[in-house]
Amino acid sequence: MSKYRLLLAAAIPAMLAAAPVSAKTLVFCSEGSPENFYPGVNTTGTSFDANSQIYSRIVDFERGTTKVVPGLAEKWDISPDGLVYTFHLRHGVKWQSNANFKPTRDFNADDIIFAIERQWKESNPYFKVTSSNHSYFNDMGMMKLLKSVDKVDDYTVKVTLNTPEAPFLSDLAMEYAGIQSKEYADAMLKAGTPEKLDQEPAGTGPFMLVQYQKDAIVRYKAFPEFWGGKAKIDDLVFAITPDASVRWAKLQKGECHVMPYPNPADLDAIRKDANVQVLEQPGLNIGYLAYNTTKKPFDDVRVRKAVNMAINKKAIIDAVYLSTGVAAINPIPPTMWSYNNQIKDDPYDPAAAKKLLAEAGYPNGFETDLWAMPVQRPYNPNAKRIAELMQADLAQVGIKAEIKSFEWGEYRKRAQAGEPQTVQLGWTGDNGDPDNFLHTLLGCAAAQNNGGNLAKWCYKPFDDIVVKAKSVSDQAERTKLYEQAQVIFKEQAPWFTIAHSVQLKPVRKEVVDFKLSPFGRHTFYGVDLK
Amino acid sequence: MTQILSAGTDIEAPPQAFAETWSYFKENRGAVIGLVIIAALVLVGATADLIAPYSPILTNNSAFLKPPFWQAGGSLAHVLGTDAIGRDMLSRLIFGARLSLSIGVAVTALSVLCGTILGLTAGYFRGVTEIVIMRVMDIILTLPSLLLAIVIVAILGPGVVNALLAVSIVLLPSYVRIARAAVITEMAKDYVTAAKVSGVGGIRLMINEVLPNCAAPLIVQATLGISTAILDAAALGFLGLGAQPPTAEWGTMLADAREFVLRAWWVVTLPGIMILITVLAFNLLGDGMRDALDPKLKR
Repeated sequence: MSKYRLLLAAAIPAMLAAAPVSAKTLVFCSEGSPENFYPGVNTTGTSFDANSQIYSRIVDFERGTTKVVPGLAEKWDISPDGLVYTFHLRHGVKWQSNANFKPTRDFNADDIIFAIERQWKESNPYFKVTSSNHSYFNDMGMMKLLKSVDKVDDYTVKVTLNTPEAPFLSDLAMEYAGIQSKEYADAMLKAGTPEKLDQEPAGTGPFMLVQYQKDAIVRYKAFPEFWGGKAKIDDLVFAITPDASVRWAKLQKGECHVMPYPNPADLDAIRKDANVQVLEQPGLNIGYLAYNTTKKPFDDVRVRKAVNMAINKKAIIDAVYLSTGVAAINPIPPTMWSYNNQIKDDPYDPAAAKKLLAEAGYPNGFETDLWAMPVQRPYNPNAKRIAELMQADLAQVGIKAEIKSFEWGEYRKRAQAGEPQTVQLGWTGDNGDPDNFLHTLLGCAAAQNNGGNLAKWCYKPFDDIVVKAKSVSDQAERTKLYEQAQVIFKEQAPWFTIAHSVQLKPVRKEVVDFKLSPFGRHTFYGVDLK
Repeated sequence: MTQILSAGTDIEAPPQAFAETWSYFKENRGAVIGLVIIAALVLVGATADLIAPYSPILTNNSAFLKPPFWQAGGSLAHVLGTDAIGRDMLSRLIFGARLSLSIGVAVTALSVLCGTILGLTAGYFRGVTEIVIMRVMDIILTLPSLLLAIVIVAILGPGVVNALLAVSIVLLPSYVRIARAAVITEMAKDYVTAAKVSGVGGIRLMINEVLPNCAAPLIVQATLGISTAILDAAALGFLGLGAQPPTAEWGTMLADAREFVLRAWWVVTLPGIMILITVLAFNLLGDGMRDALDPKLKR
C-alpha cells in the first residue's frame, strides 16, 4: 500500500508538470476526506464539495449567486396556489459509466422519483443504505411538506405539496438533492451490493470520479457528454490537505490552484504573494447574541436596545474577526436579496445605554449570564473572546455578565431549550432564501419548545409578515415583506447582530473564472486554467 | 488564604529547632533562591492592586496584541504588551500571581488539613476505620490525577473554588498516607506509652503528643505539593474548567493565547514562564526543606 502511495505521490507532480501540454489539470487542496458519495446523507461542506462535482440536481444555483437556474429540469410550472410543481425534464441527458455500471438509457423521470423516494419513503429499499439519517431532507421539513411525487410521462414529474412553500425550488437546488441513477441502483440491488451506488458513484454531472483514496486524493475526469457541455478543464484533483499552513505552502509552490479556509495568521503573507489572489465575499451567514425575551430583564425592549448600544461592535470585529468579518446590521447578510439598506445600526453609545437602562428601571444595571460556544464556527472565530469583550463593555454600564460555556452538543440543546438569558450563536444559510434566516431563526414556530429561535421571540407583527412571505411566490412582493420584517427586527432588537464573516479563498493567478459560492461551496465546472 | 496556611502548618517547635533547620536550609543555595523567588512573588501578589499599572480586566480597543516595549511597535505604556483584546499583560500576570499563589496555598492547606485528620484517625484507631479510609485513598490514587480533577469539576461546574476543591481531593491521598505512617511509627514509641500511662486522653494524645512529631514529613510534602497544586489548577484553567473569564489566571491565559504562538509570542510565552518559575521555585524550596527536616538526611 505504501509503495502504491509513494508512486502516487510521485505521479501527481509529474502529471502537473505535463499539464500545460497535454491536459488541463486543476488541483484543489481540499481540507478533508468526504464521507461517501451520496449527498443525501452528508452534512459537511467537505463531502458536498466532493460529490457535487459528480451529480446534477433538478434545479441549480447559478454559479457564484443564490439565483435558481434550470438543471435537469429545463423548465417548470407552479400552480397558482403554489402547491403543485410540474417539472419538464431535459432530454438526452447521459449517465456516467464506471466499472460496475454501463447505462443503457438516458436520464428520465424515474431517476427523479427514485432520488426523492430514497430519502422520503422508508419502504424504499435504499432508504437505509449507507445511512438512514437524511439530515437535510428532514431538517428542511420535506417529510411533512411533500404530499406526492408523480411521473406524468418519462420527461415530466409532478410534485404536490401540503402547504405552499416559496423557497421550495431553492431547497431542491441544494446538494442533498443530487440525482442518482435508478438503473444503477436496481443493478446494484440485484447484485447484492447496494452500497456501491454511494461509493462508486455515477451521476449526470460535469465530472466523473476516477479514484478516491481516503486522506490522500480524489481524482475526477471531465465527463465529455455532460448535458451542459464538457468542462473547460480535463482533470480535477482534490489533494486532501487538512492543515491550513500546509495548504498555503502547497498553493505558494503551485502544487495546487485553489485552497479553502486559510489561516488568518497567514493572510498577510498570502496577500503579498504576486502569484496568488485572494478572493473575498461576505459569507451567507450571521453571528449573533440572542436575548432571551421570555426572561427578565430582556423581556423589556428598552433593555435590549440599551445592551445593543453598550457593546462596541467595532472592537469585536477588530479584535476577533480581524479582516475576515464585516459588522452585521440586519439578521440576513448583505449579499442576500431583500437586504434592507435603509436600516441604521444602533450606535455604540454607553451614556445613552445607561440612560435607557435607568428608564427601564435598572439604573444600577443587573446581573446576567452570557453564553459563549466552546468551538470555532464559520460565522464566529472565537465566541469566548467576543464574550470577554462584551463582558468588559457591559461592565461599563453596570451590567455584570457571567460567561458560561458547555460542551457543543449540550450547548445547543440547552440554548434551544431557552435556558440562557443571553446566548451567542450563528447561522449559515444553505439555500439563499431570506426565509431560511428570518422565519427559521426568528419566527414564532421556532420560538416554541426547543426551536431554533434562541431569543424565544414570538412577535406577532413580525411573524405575520414572514409567514405571509412564505406563501407568496412573487419575489418583488416578498422582498417588500422581508424589508419590512427587518425594520421590525431592528426596532424590537431580539438580537445583537455581531458580524457576517467574510469568505476568503486564495486562488492562483492562472485560474480563470473561479467564482466564490455564497454557500461556501466549491464548484469547478466553468473554471479554466491559463 | 495565608491564614489557613498558618493554621495548617503551624508547629509549636522550640526556637532551637528552627535555628537548626535554618542552618541546614541556608546551605542549600537552590533552596534559598527558591525562597527568594517565592518571597518576591508573594510580595507582588499581595501588593497587586498597588503595583499593577492597569486593571487586569480593562480592555483597550486601540491596543490589541501590542508587543512588549523592546520590540518594534511596542511602547512603555504596556511594558509587556497586551493580549488579544487589549488587556495589559503585565497587570494580568501580576494579578495571576496573586490568584495562582492563593490557589496553591489554599489547596495545600485544605488537603494537608483534611489529610492529616484522616491520617491521624486511621493511624490512631487502626482496625475498620483505617481500612475504610486507606482503601478510599487507594481508589483515589488509582485514577489519573488530572482526569479525576476534570471529573470533579465537571460535576461541580467550572470555577476557581470548584477547581480548588477538585485539586485538593486529588492531592489528599499522599498526605493521608504520610500522616498515617508517621502516626503508626510514633505510637510505638516510649513517650507515647508514657503519656498514656500518665492518663493522657485520646484527642489530647493525638494532637499534643503525636502530631507535632509527625509534622516534618508533612511540611516537606506540603511545600512540594504547592507546586503540584499550582500546576494542576493551571491545567484546569487551560482546559477552561478553572478560573472563569475575565479573571486573570496563568493557565487560562495560556489556553486563550494558543492560536497566537507564531504571531504574538508574548501572550503565550509569558504566562508559561511565570508558571515555570513559580513551580520551579516551590520545588527548590521543597527540596531544601526536605534536606533540612528529614532526620535521615541530617549530618
